[in-house]
Amino acid sequence: MQGGLSYTREFTAGFTASLCVFFLVMAFVSYGYALQDSLGPGPGFFPFWLGLLGAAISATLVVQSWRGLLVLEGEESKWPDRTGAIRTIVLLAGIAIAAAILEPLGFRITAFAFTVTMLLALGVRRLVIIVVFGLVSGFGLFHVFYYWLKVPLPIGAMGL
Amino acid sequence: MDSLAHLMAGFSAAMTPAYLTYALIGCIFGTLIGVLPGLGPAAGTAILIPITFKLDPTGAIIMLAAIYYGAMYGGTITSVLLNVPGEAASVITCLDGHQMAKQGRGGTALGIAAIGSFVGGLFATVALVLVAPPLAKFALTFGPPEYFALMVFGLCLVSGLAGKSLAAAMVMTAFGLIISLIGIDPVRGAPRFTFSVPELYDGLGVVPVVMGLFGIAEILITAEQRSRDMIRTSFKGLFPSRAEWRRSWGAIARGTGIGFFLGLIPGIGAIVPTFMSYIVEKRVSKTPEEFGNGAIEGVAGPETANNAYANAAMVPFLTLGIPSSPTIAVLMGAFIINGLTPGPFLFQERPDLVWTVIASFFIGNVMLLVLNLPLVGLWAKILEVPFKYLAVGVLLFCIMGAYSLKQSPFDVWVMLGFGVLGYLFRKVNLPVAPLVLGLILGPAIETSLRTSLEMSAGDFGILAERPLCLGLLIASALVLAASALSLAPRALREGEAEV
Repeated sequence: MQGGLSYTREFTAGFTASLCVFFLVMAFVSYGYALQDSLGPGPGFFPFWLGLLGAAISATLVVQSWRGLLVLEGEESKWPDRTGAIRTIVLLAGIAIAAAILEPLGFRITAFAFTVTMLLALGVRRLVIIVVFGLVSGFGLFHVFYYWLKVPLPIGAMGL
Repeated sequence: MDSLAHLMAGFSAAMTPAYLTYALIGCIFGTLIGVLPGLGPAAGTAILIPITFKLDPTGAIIMLAAIYYGAMYGGTITSVLLNVPGEAASVITCLDGHQMAKQGRGGTALGIAAIGSFVGGLFATVALVLVAPPLAKFALTFGPPEYFALMVFGLCLVSGLAGKSLAAAMVMTAFGLIISLIGIDPVRGAPRFTFSVPELYDGLGVVPVVMGLFGIAEILITAEQRSRDMIRTSFKGLFPSRAEWRRSWGAIARGTGIGFFLGLIPGIGAIVPTFMSYIVEKRVSKTPEEFGNGAIEGVAGPETANNAYANAAMVPFLTLGIPSSPTIAVLMGAFIINGLTPGPFLFQERPDLVWTVIASFFIGNVMLLVLNLPLVGLWAKILEVPFKYLAVGVLLFCIMGAYSLKQSPFDVWVMLGFGVLGYLFRKVNLPVAPLVLGLILGPAIETSLRTSLEMSAGDFGILAERPLCLGLLIASALVLAASALSLAPRALREGEAEV
């Protein structure tokens, strides 16, 4: 556990350092907008000072996390095992692919493909359940939301 | 008297079959959201916004509000049966509720939670009726400096109470504020941080961000864990025995008071009232050793405080436009989608809507009680659905919800990005609630600050010249100082323990 904790501590310090960089970039970009204009504070005024403030507090946080004050043993700081990590990546990849094909293929096909793929990836092996769940998710949900609830959902090039 | 007349008019509108149906659907969906592990009330409310598209604004808000307080109760069921809080406010219920379930008293735990929630919610709504109109009237006297100071105060409270590191909470608040500035500058109309991406001109939507931070991140966290065993308990004895009643009524009364008064403070969050109620109950109990081993007061008090808080948190939201929690921030987003701006002007401009919604709180509380006592067994059955199916269903709803708001796949990408960020924030113990409140309050804070400075020709002295504004800013500084002082010794001790 100690090794894991140390890794978490280093990761936390790196993560908070990246937040610090983010705030500095935002402050830098804001500086390009007018900080003041003839009417008073300009569009860059608030984000510039906020960026600097955020960077300063993030720097404090980097020190805190390096000293291990943010992540402690026994707290929610564990990283997933191999199976957990694969599940996480599969779910993220599934959402990314769904976002990419949602408009070209339409909601029904996307939802069907997403459901079937995710269930298979998560270890469901009963084909009937997978197909039924996929059809309900894709075509059933579309019908309820598009026709009954008038929720605008995409229809793809194939008319589905 | 005026309030009573408005409330009666609200009741006559809320009792129409359509609004009753919306409240009922909202209560069912809300409880379902609360029951499902891996889907908190904020993400759940956000996901369900699309189902209100076809409704008129009043119907939409009634349904979403019912989802909100339904979810607050639903979280109790997983706390008792799985020892996993369905939402953060139910954490403390795990301690004694789960122990009661292990002893075969799960039905009683859920029963007293439902009764306590009903009492707490009902009394808090009565108090809301009494407090909200004068507060809204008072808030009408606020100028931009007072609004700026009030929102700063709210954010300081959130930062001060959000986690064990004040710096972490402040960084997350600043992160939320700065990403809220993406898009068109509300004062001058200039684009900021858009980097030539047309979709960014509208800014980041609150709903995709919340779905990502709470929905996607929660699913990812749950996906990597092993499944938990559910306690099979008896649902026959839902009503407490005479002896259990004697032990519970005081806890319910105290929980109502604690939940209501803490709910009035913007930004305090639902966890604080429940923990405070638990601590109070343990302190006043003649048998404190039973706490943690199935003491019914340990369920009755916090659950009552939770629902009293949920209803009382509507006071700063409806009267001042300040959301107290991420879920209310989502509700605020729903108001804005429906062309409504929460705050004192809402009471003047749309009293019909405000009072119908308030009346629906009463109705919703009754519905929840009627729904939850007989249907406890059914909700428990839902917990037996394997996580794989729930996860896929929830993710699909997230994709659909994020897309349908603006019919833009870009929002699905935003949701995904914030899902990854939310996952990482949890891994490194950075609190996400301040981020959401910063995101929703950011544009209003900036506008009120810049308008104040324009009023004074750039002189910051305007913030010190107005007594209320100065008082709120001093209170903000005190909150941060108190938080820093109380957290520092603990952080040092923990740091030393690490060394």
